[in-house]
Amino acid sequence: MKTLKITTVLVAIIIATGFASQLMAQELTGREIVDKVYNLPTGEDQTSDLTMTLINKSGQERIRKIKQFTKDLGDVEKSIMFFQSPADVKNTSFMNWTYDDESKSDDQWIYLPALKKTKRISSDSKSDYFMGSDFTYDDLGDRKLDDDTHKLMGEETIDGVDYYMIESTPQDEEYMYSKTKTWIRKDNFIGLKKKFYDEDEELLKILKIKKFEEISGFIVITSSEMENVQKNHRTTMILNNVEINTNIPTSKFSERMMMRGM
Amino acid sequence: MEVTWKVEQIIKLITMKTKGLIIAIILLATNQPTIAQNVDINGFVRNYTGLLYNNGEFNMLQNTLNVNFEKMGDRVAFKANPMLYLYGIDSLDFRLREIYLDLYFDNFDIRIGKQQIVWGKADGVFITDIVSPLDLQEFLLPDFDEIRVGVYAAKVDYYFGNSTIELIWKPVYAGNEFPGPGSIWYKPPDFPAPPTFDYSKEKIDPSLENSEVYLKYSLSSSAIDFDLMGAYTWDQTPSMHVEKQFELDSVDNSVLTGLLITPEHHRLIVAGGSFTSTIKSFVVRGEAAYYNGKYFQTADPTADGALTQKDYLHYVVGLDYGVGHLKLSAQFIQKYIMDYNDFIDEEEFGNTMTFLARYDAMRETLHLELFSYIGLNYGDALIRPKVTYDFSDSFSILLGSNIFVGDEQGMFGRYGDNSMIYTKIKYSF
Repeated sequence: MKTLKITTVLVAIIIATGFASQLMAQELTGREIVDKVYNLPTGEDQTSDLTMTLINKSGQERIRKIKQFTKDLGDVEKSIMFFQSPADVKNTSFMNWTYDDESKSDDQWIYLPALKKTKRISSDSKSDYFMGSDFTYDDLGDRKLDDDTHKLMGEETIDGVDYYMIESTPQDEEYMYSKTKTWIRKDNFIGLKKKFYDEDEELLKILKIKKFEEISGFIVITSSEMENVQKNHRTTMILNNVEINTNIPTSKFSERMMMRGM
Repeated sequence: MEVTWKVEQIIKLITMKTKGLIIAIILLATNQPTIAQNVDINGFVRNYTGLLYNNGEFNMLQNTLNVNFEKMGDRVAFKANPMLYLYGIDSLDFRLREIYLDLYFDNFDIRIGKQQIVWGKADGVFITDIVSPLDLQEFLLPDFDEIRVGVYAAKVDYYFGNSTIELIWKPVYAGNEFPGPGSIWYKPPDFPAPPTFDYSKEKIDPSLENSEVYLKYSLSSSAIDFDLMGAYTWDQTPSMHVEKQFELDSVDNSVLTGLLITPEHHRLIVAGGSFTSTIKSFVVRGEAAYYNGKYFQTADPTADGALTQKDYLHYVVGLDYGVGHLKLSAQFIQKYIMDYNDFIDEEEFGNTMTFLARYDAMRETLHLELFSYIGLNYGDALIRPKVTYDFSDSFSILLGSNIFVGDEQGMFGRYGDNSMIYTKIKYSF
């Protein structure tokens, strides 16, 4: 299990900004557009309930429920997640510390209540899928800006909304995606769709944003869906009870709290 | 109505047993909505069926009910974890694995009651993890969350920065539990004469003087997690004091006619520590403890009670690696007896390795796992392949095997006749 910053996550892919009108007037490169997307404000801290539904090709559903807390402490962002269902992972918790220093790997721990043990785990495998879903850890926001080369491919108008079309190609040729294509709204920098291509440059997955809301002055993606078009299964993510800037104590992000629970 | 009837039948059955009343209360509690609304109830029901390879006999027919009752508040919490094992059709074993109260303060927490305490960073080996003894009645086969025995203790954790100091006071002794005669896991040594056992010294009465104390400092940082521990404890395995009994034969020669064996626990002082850190995709782990005052069985004719007291060092180093859905882990474990002599009934260096390979497939619904202990001194091993399929989020089926191979002198090879295939069907709620 690896890091998850679901709210910052989808925000990182898509987000909105109040400076959109100023930016529109400028000639932006692909990298500059994605940089704006990756660095938009998300608040000092955030609390939410995540419901993740895994749907297979027969339409059968498996549901995971998670309570999550995130806090930005300047040079480090800490997050902690408490698994509420299914029953066999209930009370499992996961903590992640992400550093601004890009040369420094994330620190991650998982607490397994049956074993009564907190284990440090490696954060290096960003291409792993999160809890059997269609989202990899990279998809969920672990990707760094310069891990890819971003190229502005053009502009497109869909249903009266103007979009930038960005193509991102990984620096690492061995990476699981050969490229991604993202549609980012020109008026407010919200991206509504992203396509992922496999190593053979075949379309692998499509991410669609179903709903975003303004909460405490910040744009938060509250409903999204990732579909694997090759295997015909998909995952939906819905955020509820989102609270921003509630002054979560720093002590929340500790082994003590992982073991104690919510 | 039907539910009520079933509950009555269950209660009637259970109350026939000595410990039935407690179980009945628990079952009734689960049927009381008022309680259930306030207390979080979860757990599992599991069927475990095992078959021996060598004779086709069922060595395991077990049904288990595990229930956790938990209630958490801002300042206080409690947990009770009864477990009910049904062997065959009528042999009930009830265990209240844990029942404790938690008290939360700003910088420290207190836990009082029967509890399982887990220390250390190693997997499947117990080096600084000595607070809770082990239930070894089925050797090392139970899941590691079930192999530990709850202990009656008061635990205080004091927090400052990323550090924690943990102090445990254990007033009631609890030792490792071993298989008895009749069990396929009971392997008595070859005695040179008929033994007689005197268990009068085995019991340790609960008293202040007989208490155990454990202390640990731990730190979680971005670079490394480590802890240092010390313990004034009892050896959880009793030492066997052997008194030889002789008689004179017809020509006045002294002949060994019997052994009087007196199991007795002795004090141990233990100091150690553990660490874990990450290097790229690897997790490096280590754990070591120095045991002072352990009694070892000896063949030295001058030794009192056929025992000799020595110190020993026990340590493990391990490496975990993950790539995609594949997880690999290896550990090397060594036990080194200091000031060794050849009379001691154990190797000077006891070397063991463990390997784990795990692969998750089909969106983490199919799990393939191979875990093994390998005894390097005698070239023996316990190999544990298993496949688990999650039919749903709450229902899984496991098919596995425990294969003992190698020299019969080794701790795994000696169970060569106990190799088995088994299934576990589990419903979590």
